[in-house]
Amino acid sequence: MAEAIQFLVPRDNVLARRLSIISDLADLLPPECLVHEARGLAPFETDAFIAYRRVPLAVALPRTTVQVAAVLKYCHRYDIPVVPRGAGTSLSGGAIPQEDAVVLCLSKMTRIIEIDYANRTATVQAGVTNLSISNAVGTDGFFYAPDPSSQLACTIGGNIGMNSGGAHCLKYGVTTNNLLGVKLVLIDGTVVELGGKHLDAAGYDLLGLVCGSEGQLGVVTEATVRLIAKPEGARPVLFGFDTCDEAGACVADIIAAGIIPVAIEFMDKPAIEICEAFAKAGYPLDVAALLIVEVEGSEAEMDAMLASIVEIAGRHGVRKVRECQSATEAALIWKGRKLAFGATGRIADYICMDGTVPLGKLSYVLGRTAQIVEGFGLRVANVFHAGDGNMHPLILFNANDPVEAAKAEAAGNEILKLCVEAGGCLTGEHGVGIEKRDLMRYQYSDIDLAQQMDVRGAFDEKWLLNPSKVFPLDGRIRAAC
Amino acid sequence: MLIPTSETDAAYIIRNAAGQGKRLAICGGNTRSGLGQMVEAAEVFSARGLSGIVDYDPAEMVMTAKAGTPVAEIEAALARNRQMLAFEPMDHRGIMGTSGEPTIGGAFAANVSGPRRFVAGAARDSLLGIRFVNGRGEAVKAGGRVMKNVTGLDLVKLLAGSFGTLGFLTEVTFRVLPVPPAADTLVVSGLDDETAAKAMATAMSLPVEVSGAAHLPFTVRHRFIGGRLPEGEATVLRIEGLAASVEARAQKLAAVMEAFGPVTRLGSADSATLWRDIRDVAPYADGTSRPLWRVSVAPSAGHQLVAALRLEAGIDAFYDWQGGLVWMRMEADAEAELVRRYIRALGGGHATLVRAPDRIRAATSAFEPQPDAVAALSARIRKTFDPAGIFSPGRMSGRGGAV
Amino acid sequence: MQTSFTTEQLADPNVAESEKILRRCVHCGFCTATCPTYVTLGNELDSPRGRIYLIKEMLENGRPADAETVTHIDRCLSCLSCVTTCPSGVDYMHLVDHARAHIENTYRRPLADRLIRSLLAAILPYPARFRAALQLARLGRPLAPVFARVPALAPLAAMLSLAPVRRPRTAAVTDPQPLSTPRRGRVAILSGCAQSVLDPGINAATRRLLTRFGVEIVAPRGEGCCGALVHHLGREDEALAFARRNVDAWIGEIEGGGLDAIIITASGCGTTVKDYGHMLRLDPLYDDKAARVSALARDITEYLSTLDLPVLESRRLSVAYHSACSLQHGQRITALPKLLLKAAGFTVRDPAEGHLCCGSAGTYNILQPEISAQLKARKVKNIDATKADVVAAGNIGCMTQIATGTAIPVVHTVELLDWAYGGPKPAKLATSGRKDKARPVAAARV
Repeated sequence: MAEAIQFLVPRDNVLARRLSIISDLADLLPPECLVHEARGLAPFETDAFIAYRRVPLAVALPRTTVQVAAVLKYCHRYDIPVVPRGAGTSLSGGAIPQEDAVVLCLSKMTRIIEIDYANRTATVQAGVTNLSISNAVGTDGFFYAPDPSSQLACTIGGNIGMNSGGAHCLKYGVTTNNLLGVKLVLIDGTVVELGGKHLDAAGYDLLGLVCGSEGQLGVVTEATVRLIAKPEGARPVLFGFDTCDEAGACVADIIAAGIIPVAIEFMDKPAIEICEAFAKAGYPLDVAALLIVEVEGSEAEMDAMLASIVEIAGRHGVRKVRECQSATEAALIWKGRKLAFGATGRIADYICMDGTVPLGKLSYVLGRTAQIVEGFGLRVANVFHAGDGNMHPLILFNANDPVEAAKAEAAGNEILKLCVEAGGCLTGEHGVGIEKRDLMRYQYSDIDLAQQMDVRGAFDEKWLLNPSKVFPLDGRIRAAC
Repeated sequence: MLIPTSETDAAYIIRNAAGQGKRLAICGGNTRSGLGQMVEAAEVFSARGLSGIVDYDPAEMVMTAKAGTPVAEIEAALARNRQMLAFEPMDHRGIMGTSGEPTIGGAFAANVSGPRRFVAGAARDSLLGIRFVNGRGEAVKAGGRVMKNVTGLDLVKLLAGSFGTLGFLTEVTFRVLPVPPAADTLVVSGLDDETAAKAMATAMSLPVEVSGAAHLPFTVRHRFIGGRLPEGEATVLRIEGLAASVEARAQKLAAVMEAFGPVTRLGSADSATLWRDIRDVAPYADGTSRPLWRVSVAPSAGHQLVAALRLEAGIDAFYDWQGGLVWMRMEADAEAELVRRYIRALGGGHATLVRAPDRIRAATSAFEPQPDAVAALSARIRKTFDPAGIFSPGRMSGRGGAV
Repeated sequence: MQTSFTTEQLADPNVAESEKILRRCVHCGFCTATCPTYVTLGNELDSPRGRIYLIKEMLENGRPADAETVTHIDRCLSCLSCVTTCPSGVDYMHLVDHARAHIENTYRRPLADRLIRSLLAAILPYPARFRAALQLARLGRPLAPVFARVPALAPLAAMLSLAPVRRPRTAAVTDPQPLSTPRRGRVAILSGCAQSVLDPGINAATRRLLTRFGVEIVAPRGEGCCGALVHHLGREDEALAFARRNVDAWIGEIEGGGLDAIIITASGCGTTVKDYGHMLRLDPLYDDKAARVSALARDITEYLSTLDLPVLESRRLSVAYHSACSLQHGQRITALPKLLLKAAGFTVRDPAEGHLCCGSAGTYNILQPEISAQLKARKVKNIDATKADVVAAGNIGCMTQIATGTAIPVVHTVELLDWAYGGPKPAKLATSGRKDKARPVAAARV
């Protein structure tokens, strides 16, 4: 069955010179930093968006910014596409290469360079995992706020590429709101430093532009991020409702009341069952919808905020309220939520969507989502960041059945279009990658896209960096094809 | 002055101007035009005719307004729903001696923020979506109206703080936050600049959620809240939230700050006035045009910069953002070379010449000069928005620069 | 994940099982974060997810294993940290076991590699041979640096460095002691192979402790090495032979005098014995018996936890508890040993990065000396940072590995418990010169 999402046609002249390219790269990198045997390349052919796979030309695993610059400079000189990669946990295919591309994987650059508590910054290499930053500063009473569910494994470099979010972004913002500076290598090997420990850009906000640019503007090798003092305490509370509508309305009311909890997460019945089977966190199995609301502060503050929230939930017919009694319990509740996607893998293959909708449209979109998926004869489980309307419908199917696989993909596209129609956007955290590339025209006009592509071209005139991603293949400017 | 009344209007004018190579000096209410390099342009092109709140949903915490809407109108509409702009934009009219109405588009185009910026984000962090007309006369949309949005390149961040050199903003969509029910300010008295930096760093390491940290040295202290701040230098720390929470956190913070110096509380009325005056750099709203620098460095470097400069030039300064934002008024000469040299020596940052007499502006780079590679990149980016170079050319470039 | 096996391939029950395991993997990548070789080497190919992918390709194509795949599978510690982390329930343990068997059956290793593996398989499972080899190793120790310089001989160098400096005392194999308290249970203790040579004091302490609390210990004839070693070398037939022998020995006792538990004091062996039911599932003569044996297998700390040992007063001795991979990931026993130590009056400290392997992993420290050394250094650093008085672990391999890197004395958890509940102070602690305020049993709850 023909794949729905196309890649750029690999450049023949690059493929023809494969062996000499590998030989040249071997001159730039030590042997353990280059993968080129066919068998060894296979695991790099995909990321967490496993429906699509392309074996790359070679994989470079540099250890230093100098090595990164040397590889980029070489590829720029010989018109070889480059696909940056962190931990390969992207759910939108951001790290999926193509046959003529060199994968530039930063997983060996894992040093924490400096922690500066007086200035509340941490400077790390791009291959450092998200969670390890918080782990490194936790005992000293600090943390790094953006917490994508994959934070155990995903790298800060990948977070910057995708402008990753997470459950706690409701209060603390996403990566771009917590990023202070980067060391960026441009496609021609030039190394620039943007930002630092100071706030605001000196001129144009290139740092803000690079964040979320999905590896198309350059390769980040180091990052300086904001550290925040840990609250005295944090407590998740479970609220069970009989209908998804009530749960959605409750979320809107909490926000409207001026209360900003640290996080509000939403799970529907299928998702609850999946997560509870794995984490055994004590999620109620007899409710239609579950909210996990987390408040933080001193004991007194948490009590006060929770009292207000419980009162609001009561107005929406909440049936079950369960407060955590211990840190272990709290950890379990979050474990269940954060491992939801993987836990789904226990019962079926799935694709995970990522659209954002205005809060007021949550109930409507949930209802329509169910209709769409059922219309394709499939099942769906919903998990999402209710506080900011970022939805994650998990469409369940059998990956070994090409017909079902195609239906799942089609259902996903319909859901994303629905999100845009409802006044939201195609992707809240996972990025466009290849997954949503062909839907970009639902959100942007040709002029909007042309402006973005022009800016991209200002960084990478030859369109060598991650070229098959983000922008629809048809209608690109000449260099991009 | 050209004042289009619709986006289509604006696009038409810009398209013509581009065709003729006619330069336009972009502005909103023109209250911040003294900021940056002087622009030579045939016409002033203002967004103030594009005014009005387009959509406001307090439950969603999102507002959309045309770019020329006065900030005052926005803030009033928000206040009626007990909401506010988290980044508390500065009003430049005091220090610049300008009149007119600052616009919301101008606030975003200049990335204007206030004391809460260092914890709540700058203007650009609240900006969710924009409509603008680029230098070809094309209407472009970027971003959207939801916070979690990573669809395509983030042109929203790029346009924020670009001073109109990349596009003419016609509409902005931004996030708003609830107004905290209560607020108070702790004043720690008698700390020198270095100790104040330590005290503020300590305050920020505590789980009390300080939302304003400034240090007012001896020379400026008396110019706030009618001189009612306690004697000596004043290190001020703001706490906001529910009343009971503010009280509890203030007490916790006071207990730790007492180790540094005597601690007093201002109460909510004086607190509000104080932070508004810090926001608007009140001490230097002196009716003169003596050079005024806005310096951003690492919080621990601010006082070192001032100490180093005091040895070589006559400057008056005070600190915001835990010491990382330094407002410096110079006696006479801007001393740009000196200021920039010390910033580099202290680990980096930038200094922007916010106000200066024309002859100094003509001879000084108002924005921090960038390394060649970054400058070249910026120039290329600008060309993709404004190939004919008609939008406030030279506003952000160094003296004689190409951008 | 999508798989593409032919129906013929799936007719092989081992392939069919592996296909089911592969289908579970959704390629999320969480496993990479907690994999010791991935955090050390930073290469997808040395991560569980990468290995799963390599195994999938290898099995789907029905090919003989190739050098690249073998290199990365060989680097797997089988620590099973990935299994603990995986949200999708991928049974990586059995997948990599199958892969190792496939490699052993289809791949011709270089000569030196083959020789060393055969040497290990021929010596370590047999206590008499192992004892003799250790004598030789002590003599040959000065040659270790020479061997270390030749890559193919590096394993020999590692072996020599690991051999204990002093000959371990052979504990007299005592006949089971008569019980002085009413009988509470009847158990067998796996005598095993390497542990009985390297540190016979562990099982001696186990016997004393259990006897003191009224547990009768029997020593069925015919049991020996559990087979883990050859199993992890991919030598399946030899592994199953060891398993059958042990199953026969224990079934004899189960059907004879009866057994409440089969106690295992080396957690690496415990994981394997608990897996006998799976390993022998395709053998109609042994499948039931093996399952019964596996159901009775208990780590010593598991069994002790059922005895309701009395709580003792605190003694001023801090213990850094090293959680062996086979115990925390393989058998999912994490809290029990610590609770036992705390109840016995010790202060327990958890080294940071406790989920990361110490690098011992059976014969890994011999076959992959560079990676093992890096992991050991990292583990020792975390242990030393606890500033504890003693290190306790539940596996002889870990104890040997860690002891070569830290100055803190390393003992088995059961040795500390035996001491607390009336036994002799472990010899390794006697030299530390620490004065502890031990108090005898506070309230007997026997």
